[in-house]
Amino acid sequence: MFLRELDTVEMLQNALRNYGVPLAIRDLLLAVAVIVLGATGTFLLLPHRHGSVKPRRVHAAGGALVGLSILLLACFWTPPGSFQANLFFYAFGMAAVAGGILTITSRNPIYSALWFASVVLSTSGLFLLAGAQFLAAGTVIVYAGAIIVTFLFVIMLAQSQGQALYDRMARAPGRATLSCFLLLWGLMYALLVAQTIPLGQGQDSLAREKRLVRASQIVGFYRIQPSTNPAMVLNRANRPTSQLPQSQQSHVAGLGGTLYTDHLIAAELAGVLLFVALVGAVAIALPRVPGRPAGPPTAP
Amino acid sequence: MPGPDPFTFDVLVNYLLVGAALMALGMLGFLTRRNLIVMFLSAEMMLQGTALTLVAFGRYHGNWTGQVFTIVILTVAACEAAIALGLILVLFNRRESLDVTLWQDIREPGLPPVEEPSEEAEPIEPKPGPESYPHLTPAGLEPPHPSQPWEQRRD
Repeated sequence: MFLRELDTVEMLQNALRNYGVPLAIRDLLLAVAVIVLGATGTFLLLPHRHGSVKPRRVHAAGGALVGLSILLLACFWTPPGSFQANLFFYAFGMAAVAGGILTITSRNPIYSALWFASVVLSTSGLFLLAGAQFLAAGTVIVYAGAIIVTFLFVIMLAQSQGQALYDRMARAPGRATLSCFLLLWGLMYALLVAQTIPLGQGQDSLAREKRLVRASQIVGFYRIQPSTNPAMVLNRANRPTSQLPQSQQSHVAGLGGTLYTDHLIAAELAGVLLFVALVGAVAIALPRVPGRPAGPPTAP
Repeated sequence: MPGPDPFTFDVLVNYLLVGAALMALGMLGFLTRRNLIVMFLSAEMMLQGTALTLVAFGRYHGNWTGQVFTIVILTVAACEAAIALGLILVLFNRRESLDVTLWQDIREPGLPPVEEPSEEAEPIEPKPGPESYPHLTPAGLEPPHPSQPWEQRRD
């Protein structure tokens, strides 16, 4: 784009490929821009003193950098197709990432909890777009409805008077931002490389699916030795109860069918886990009954 | 055979990018913040990121496994929230503070304690004027006002 000479671009591209980086220069620069802008903006937004600059200016600068980084991240998303799906995907995706950044950088824990509620609603919308309708409703009910309300109750019971010092100080923000954005860079790089069309192939997007074959399209699974792990996993993944509903079947009926036939043990264990957690929470949180000293019994 | 699945590999990568961003941001919040509640909220955000990744992969491969495991994750998150919040309340009642650096004595035996000077805290910009109260519809007898209004704002 801004490199005018074509052979310089070609040379750089070939040099990158020789070093094992099969990305286009544009994608690489955009990804680096996302990470660098996001890291700088988040570092500025985290509660920390930045010399003698007023906090408002620091917040404004950090917010602008983070907003720009989210817009550049949205350039990596391919639109899913129909206009409504595009609109909602971009809206929910950007709201999820923006809500995430606001959660971790809010000075008031109530604001953090409310921004986390917006993250949960955005991921619930993304679940709906991916076809997980029960999970979308379940996430809103359990997470936003129960867990976050419990958080707000605990914040009410464990209030700090005024602006606490520990809310305005972040632990090692530079090192933490560096390491976490390096992690994000690693994940983004891996995903972008996987998305790159392999060299020598045609330009249609089905070529990329050769990198990740869908489990529903593996037809030769019966040729694998039965009773080996791949055969057992594929057998389980391709049962009729395990398949997502094709067209007119009910969503929740299919989910219930697979939950109680293929994943029966997992469902029962989840119930046991809830019970154990209930016992544990009651044991931890309730105070000792007064009048029953915890010392050894004394002789009368 | 129905038409090709509109959930192509590119759409899958969309969801995975958002999940990766949520995961990294959650990790950042967990490592950085000192408030126990915000640390735990960041851990929950990491779980949201992984749940999104699981659902996307489940949809791509055409089976229910992603959603079933996300239901298990939801269950685990609820249990974790119950126990962790109970623990946070107990810790708050001991020290009257939600600061996690007050509990440094349970660190590994060879590590030095983390001491951060309070000059690194962000300065508060005090809002001018005494504390103001919202104008609500009166619902009964007006209570007696304090003789000395709050001189310092509490938020």
